[in-house]
Formats: sequence, C-alpha cells, structure tokens
Amino acid sequence: MTATLPTATDPQPGTRTAPARRTPPGGRPGAGPPAPARPLVRFRSSRPDLLLCGALLLVTVLVQGWNITDFPTLSDDEGTYLAQAWAVQQGDGLAHYTYWYDHPPLGWIQLAGLTYLPSLFLPDSMTVASMRCAMLAVSAASSVLMYVLARRLWLPRWAAGLAMALFGLSPLSVVLQREIFLDNLAVMWMLLAFCLAASPNRHLWHHFGSGLAAATAVLTKETMLVVLPALLVTMWRHSHRDTRKFAVTGAITACVLIGLSYPLYALLNGELLPGSGHVSLIDGITYQMGREGSGFILTPGSGSNGVLRSWLYYDTVLPLGGLAGAVLLLATFLPRALGFARAGGTPMSVTARALAGPALAAAILAVVAMRPTGYLPAMYVIQALPFLALVLAGGAAAVTHAVLRRGRGPGERRPRVWARWALLAVLAASAAVYVLPRWYEGNRTALTVDANAPYRQAAAWLGSEVADPANTRVLLDDALWLDAVHHGFEPGLGAIWFYKADLDPAVTRTLPRGWQDIDYVVSSPTVRRDAVNLPNVRAALEHSAVVAVFGSGEDRIEIRRTDRPAPGDAGAPAAPADRPSGS
Amino acid sequence: MGDLLYTSVFIAVVSLALFWMAAFTLWWQMHAWRTPEVLASTRFDRPDGEGRLAFSLLLPARHEQAVLEHTIDRLLESSHTDYEIIVIVGHDDPGTTAVAERAAARRPARVRVVVDHHEQKNKPKALNTALPSCRGDIVGVFDAEDQVHPELLAHVDHAFRSTGADVVQGGVQLINFHSSWYSLRNCLEYFFWFRSRLHLHAEKGFIPLGGNTVFVRTEVLREAGGWDQDCLAEDCDLGVRLSSVGKKVVVAYDSDMVTREETPGSLVSLLKQRTRWNQGFLQVYRKKDWQQLPGRGQRWLARYTLMTPFMQAASGVIIPLNFAVAVFLDVPVGVAIITFLPLVTAMVTFVFEIVGLHDFGRQYGLRVRFVHYVKLVVGGPFYQVMLAGAAIRAVWREQRGQVEWELTSHTGAHLTSTAMPEATSEAASTSASASASASTAIREDSRR
Repeated sequence: MTATLPTATDPQPGTRTAPARRTPPGGRPGAGPPAPARPLVRFRSSRPDLLLCGALLLVTVLVQGWNITDFPTLSDDEGTYLAQAWAVQQGDGLAHYTYWYDHPPLGWIQLAGLTYLPSLFLPDSMTVASMRCAMLAVSAASSVLMYVLARRLWLPRWAAGLAMALFGLSPLSVVLQREIFLDNLAVMWMLLAFCLAASPNRHLWHHFGSGLAAATAVLTKETMLVVLPALLVTMWRHSHRDTRKFAVTGAITACVLIGLSYPLYALLNGELLPGSGHVSLIDGITYQMGREGSGFILTPGSGSNGVLRSWLYYDTVLPLGGLAGAVLLLATFLPRALGFARAGGTPMSVTARALAGPALAAAILAVVAMRPTGYLPAMYVIQALPFLALVLAGGAAAVTHAVLRRGRGPGERRPRVWARWALLAVLAASAAVYVLPRWYEGNRTALTVDANAPYRQAAAWLGSEVADPANTRVLLDDALWLDAVHHGFEPGLGAIWFYKADLDPAVTRTLPRGWQDIDYVVSSPTVRRDAVNLPNVRAALEHSAVVAVFGSGEDRIEIRRTDRPAPGDAGAPAAPADRPSGS
Repeated sequence: MGDLLYTSVFIAVVSLALFWMAAFTLWWQMHAWRTPEVLASTRFDRPDGEGRLAFSLLLPARHEQAVLEHTIDRLLESSHTDYEIIVIVGHDDPGTTAVAERAAARRPARVRVVVDHHEQKNKPKALNTALPSCRGDIVGVFDAEDQVHPELLAHVDHAFRSTGADVVQGGVQLINFHSSWYSLRNCLEYFFWFRSRLHLHAEKGFIPLGGNTVFVRTEVLREAGGWDQDCLAEDCDLGVRLSSVGKKVVVAYDSDMVTREETPGSLVSLLKQRTRWNQGFLQVYRKKDWQQLPGRGQRWLARYTLMTPFMQAASGVIIPLNFAVAVFLDVPVGVAIITFLPLVTAMVTFVFEIVGLHDFGRQYGLRVRFVHYVKLVVGGPFYQVMLAGAAIRAVWREQRGQVEWELTSHTGAHLTSTAMPEATSEAASTSASASASASTAIREDSRR
C-alpha cells in the first residue's frame, strides 16, 4: 500500500532501459554515468541470444566431451587434485597426505562436490579419466558466462557468439579445459565475478557478489590474484557514480573478508607461521614463490619457452592475436583514461572502454608470464583464455564497425555500401581461411587420438596381476593413484605418490630400508623426469626390472618390480602406528 | 565427545542466527544504494509550480523560548503560500508563551497559539490538543528547534498530489557529527535511517514514522484518533497504525531539504532518549496494531523492526562471547569458521558505515577528517554497549510499569530508584531554560 516517490525511471527490475537520469543533489546537474553505448541486454528474455548461446554451448560440449577420457594425456596434476577431492569425499581431511598449503583447498573441495554424486553411484569411476566429465560441466558454465559477459560488455550478438566460440573451441581450450585443473574452476568463478561486476542493474549486492566470486576464484587458484585489478576496472566502469563508492567498497570488502578465511583456517589450525614439526601457510607460500624459475619465456630452450611453444602448437590465434588485441585496446584506452587524449567518440573507443577490464587482465597475465625468474606452469594460460577471447571478439567487432560505419554519411551511395560489405567479406574470409584449417586439425586430434591407452593398460595390469594389493607397496604418479586405490592398494602408504617417498617425512619414515621396502614402481614419463632429484625413487628405478611395458618411446609406461628379496614380508607395509593421522 | 558435539552444534546455530540477523539488517540498511534507480527514487520530485494544499504546521514548544522565535521565522520564509503555524505551549510555561504570542501578533494570519492545559504534559498530548483547531488539508509536525528548508512545503505538496499519499515523511538529519564520538555515530544512524532504511519500510508497507517533518492528511489523522498519548514513541506508533490499515506512506530524502537537528547534549541524555524509543517500540509491539498487516512478510518485518533494539543488544553480548567460545574451546575448525560469520557481517557493516560517513560529508558539504573515521571505528563497540544498555533499561522500565516520563518525574520526589535522578537530569539537559521544572519534559531528544 505504501511506496517511495515515483521517479522518471521505473524502479521495477526488468523493465528499465536507461540509467537513472535525475538531477543529483548538491548542484551537480548533468552528472550522469558513462552512458552505455548500446541498449542493455536482458539475456534471459532475449530469444535470439538464448538460441545462439544454446547452439554454441551444444557444439562446445560436444567437441570438448567427445573423446575426453582419451585425450590429452593424463596429467600428474589432475591426479593430485582428484585424489585430494577423493580424500575430502572420504572425510580424510583436505588430502590423504598431510595438507601442506601448496594451494588453497577450495578448488578440490569444489571438485569433491562436483564428483560426489557420480562417485556415490559408481565408486570406481572416481579416476582421472572418467572424472574429466565433471570438467565438462565447469566448461559449459564458463562458456555461458562468457557469452553473458560479452553481452554485458556491450558486444553485439555475433561478437559475443564469436567470443564464446573462441573460448570454447580453440584447440588450446579444448585440450586444457578437458583436464581436471583448478584453473578451470577458478576461471568459472572469475567469469562470474566479471559478469556480476558488469551487471546492467548496477545492483549493490551484485557487486558485492562479484567480490565474493572473485575471492572464491582466488581461493580456488591463487594466481587469480593478479586478475583482480582488471575486475576492479570493470566494476568501476560499470557502476553509477552515485552508488559507486558503496558498490566498489562493498565488493572489495567481500573479497578481502572471504580471502582472509584461508589464513584464518591456517591460524585456527596453528599452522599460519612456520615452526618445527608442522606445515604452515607461510612455508607453503614461500615454497610457491621460491619455485625454481623456468627461465624467460622468449629465451629458446628455457622451460617457459617450452611451455609457450606447447601452447602455440595447439593455437596461435587466441594467445597471440588476443594479446595483440589487448595491447592495442589498452593503447587506445589508457591515454583517455589517464586524461592525456581529448575526449571523443571514435568507433574504437566504445569497444576499448567496454573491454578495458578484460584487456587489462590479459595484459597483466602476460606481464606476469614474462617474469624471467618466475615459474610458468603449463596450465597458466587457462586463466587468460576468456580474456583473450573477449578481446579478440571485441577487436573483430571494432574492425567490423569501422569498416561498415566509419566516415559514413546519411545518404551514402549504394556502390560504396557494397564496397564496405565486400571488404568485410574479404576480411572475414581470410580470417576463416587462416584459422579454420588449423583448428580443424587440432580438434580432430582431440576428438580421435587415444593418448591414454598405456595408462589404462597399466591400471588394468595393477588390478589383475598383483596378487595381494592390500599388502603391496607401489610408487606411481598421481594420475594412476586412484586406479590403484580402487584395485585394493592401501591409499597413501600402499599406493604411494612417488615423490612422497622422498619428500613427505610421514611416508619416508615407513621406508626405513629405502627402495627395499617398495615392491613396484610404475615408471611413467613424470616419474622418470622427476626421479633425478628423488633418491628413493631413483634407487627404486635402478634396483628394479621391467615386468610389463605399455606404449613405446618417451611416453611408455613401465611396471617395474624391485629386486627386494621376498616381496610382502619384513615390515611392508609399515605398522599402523606409523601412519600419519591425516590433516 | 558428546559435549563437544553439542557445544559445536549450539555455537553453529547461534552463529548462523546472528549472521542472518546481521545480514538482513545490513541488507535493509543499504536499501537506498542498491541501484542508482532506487537512489534516485528516494528523492523528492521537483514540484510542478504552485502548491495547492493547505498546511497546518504544529510546533509543540516547551521551555524553548531561546530557539522558538528563530524556528518560526524560518518557517515563515517558506515559499509555499497556504499554511498556518500552530505553536502549542503549556499553560505553565509563560516564557515560551510570550515568544509565541509575540510571533502571532506579528503575523496573525500565519501564526496561532494553542495552550495545552494537561496537568502532565507530553508531546502527543500537545499535538492532540492542537488537532481540532487545524484548518489545513495537511497536518505537519516540527520540533521547536528544527531548521526547516523554505522549499520543503512546496515539495511535500507536490508529493501528496503526485502520489496520492496519505502520509509524507521528510528527512531529518543530525548534523553535528564533530561534537563527540557518540554524536558521530548518532548522526550516521540518522543518515542510514532516513536516507535509506525508511524507504524500504515505505516500499514494504510497514513504517515507523519519525517524530518530525512528518505530514499527514488531516482527515486521515482525525479518523485515526490523533496520536497515542500513552505511547512513548507516538511517532512510531502513528506510522504503524496508519500503515497497518493500508494508508499510503511516502518517504523522500533530499540532503538540501532535510530538517536539521542536533544530537543530545550528553551521552546520558542520549541513553535516555534511546531508552524511551526502545520502550516506545516495545509498547507499539505489544499494542499489536501491526498484526493487521495483510502480508506475512510485512508482519515479519514489523516484528523484526520493533524488536531490533533488543536483538541488537543481545547480539552485542553474544557475538564476542561466541567468538571467545570458538577460539578458546577446542571446537572443530569448520565450526570455528562458522562462528566468524557474524563477525564478517559486522565488519562489512563497519566498512559501509565508513563509506556512509564519507557520503554524509559529501552530501552536506561537511569536512570529514581522518580522525572522524577513526572515531567511527573505535567508537563502534562502545556505542554498541550504549545501545545494549538502553535496550536493557527499556525492558527493565517496561517490566516495572514505568511507562511515563511524567509519572516518574512527578512521583519522583519521593522515589529513590533509578528513575528519579534520570528524569531530572534529563529535563535539565534537554531544556534550553535552566529554570525548567523537571516534571514535564516534552522531549529529551535535543538540546541547543
């Protein structure tokens, strides 16, 4: 029955088309927000948007889902995260070995939730290959968010579709988004944060939610921290000057408070500061910051350069094209933002302003990757993919706009209009000719190649050929660990992550005689690569003989039995008293 | 083990309850800033020229000869053409009466004086005394020390006509945030209440009105039987009664058109003022008019709003206790994290208060210094203690049947309970006149 005063604008959500335009108090007439250049999009009620997004989603899910278990090769990290998710599901704490603050645990806690139902009905499906399907859900969510974000950044419909396609269908994306990486989850949260920051309602609690989502992203994968400034820029640009101070402060507060829950967790466990006899958050951070650098990314032969090459092997358009676009956008945006250039409305500036946030994110991530002393992991590029795709799509939109509209008068002659369209067609065709064959080739590999046969065979061998798995100790890499556990090996001290044999005191203690307390080593490429620095693992490899080989060449997987006198007796596995009690 | 489980569950439940309470309060407190459109809608619309409604402005004054003249002069500057000012004075207050009569003699067409002959005086009695002699379409209420903007009536006039409202509540703002640490918080409370929260109440159809700058259609007011003379928060009560029977209430806040006031002159008088409000809220709650509200959500809002002071007091005690229990007892880490949730909302509230203080400074062109922000944060817990004290006092007094200031003051001469000294000191602190009798304070809210 009661209401606040009616105003020029209708306060009902969903029907609003223009920002509030009333005279603000205190004699600031005409002070309005940076006006959106295009009508605000109501995604849920726009049928063409839903159809386009739905169709693209279907294609993305098909391409990413087909052959997902067989390509790419199972990675050690996937095994690590999924095994820790399994530990969470089992109620064993945050990991089945001592959790040592290597990463914030939120990522695999989410993974545990995501895989909870399937693993409830099919416990044996809790292995890396089959649980990649869970990542399909993450990638689908990210794709939709990508489209929504593109529209909220005022890209035209086709450009939003392009951004979504670039993000979901680039061979680089297909390969990386299939894998169980924390980065994929973090990207989903960060995209949500950007979507909320660019909410057309400019609602205080949307911005607050954006801060929460951003904090979740950071707690999922800590490297997302560097993207936060770009999020802030996006939020700043999309908030209204009258409510901005509340919105932005609220978002920052939300982000900081949620982010602080991680150190708080460490503090409550008495593991915030380093000390003897326990792990600590500070130790974990020190380890991550002090990881041996992989060299400058452009120095041939350095580790980082190898990683870069592996990315470019799958796709050049998204990483290089996107980065170039980001630099270009920032070059047009920054002088304006800093007040160096006169205000004006070139066609570029609309896109540049809207995409300033994503472009900044891409640029920051690139700069961080260029640190000569930093460690560049292979999955690093995942965080940049959405921003690169947005910038590239925005660049395409800007070029199209320039070609069709630049210098166009009201009564332009027909041939000239045709010439514009012809030029556009040529540009589009050449882009397609360049991109499509490469993508086709890359995605064909992803859809057909079986790279994981050796892993499957090795897992099957462990299940069928080992007589007494419960009393057998085997060193293997993380990707196979869950398979071994399902086959009856004891998690943690029977099936052992190979590097724990040297690095985790709680495990080393149960191997008083070194390699002689181990029955088998499953020698995968990762094991062979890292054994150099791991004395126990190296000794086990040296004192063992191959009993089965799967695959050939560099990628082969060998199962080796150690030369210990009589497997199964003499203190293996260790007495229960030696078990770590979990974290 | 079982004990620990029970403790954990108990702590978790309490924490979650507190969390939701604080979260809801915060949500409502931030109502006006939800979107730019909502913020724009909280302001007055620009009036469309001539006013067409006639106003009767009630100005109860008690021992306020020092400020009354200025207030009347300021009201006479109004740009509106059709209004009368009715000054209500007590029969035992010759000083104020003289000032009022002088003004009436100067502007007989505009100013009239009504004398309240009640033995025990309070504000609702004064207002009810004047109600029969109101000639306007709209009755407006001001306090004797209010600084009213000349354009206000024109805007209110427009608001009545453009919205078909039965009640229009304008903004009231305490300004002297620099006076003391508690006045800083007090100002900010007003800011969040009138700037933001009241609009939510108007939107939801349940509203406790403010004590002044409130305008009601005369026939609506007469139909409702005027103000409740026995209620300590007659303003809140009126709003609750009117909105409960479906009257339309409109709230508008413009920083250049608010009625400016000052905080109580001492912490003790603030405590007493708050005690009276809390007790008034409690009375309104017990009168159960709000139960006529049609919507379940509205009734919950009513219940919650009227009980807020008491929940605030409870949470002020429970939050630190809960926190201590979580830290010092050996509860699981997950439970300990849950106990931090209310603290998290409290911190978010703190941050929004800081931003609110900044906005307040901007809106009123006041210079807010760094030290004020520090005071705001540091003073927070102490203010909470004061609020808790006021809430406890209110419950105590209500239980003891101490429902009237007058009663306590009059019989106070032979009372040795807490009631006596507070009544006297309060009247002394509120009245501009040093010779004011302690018996009949109309308001203890302000002090020049």
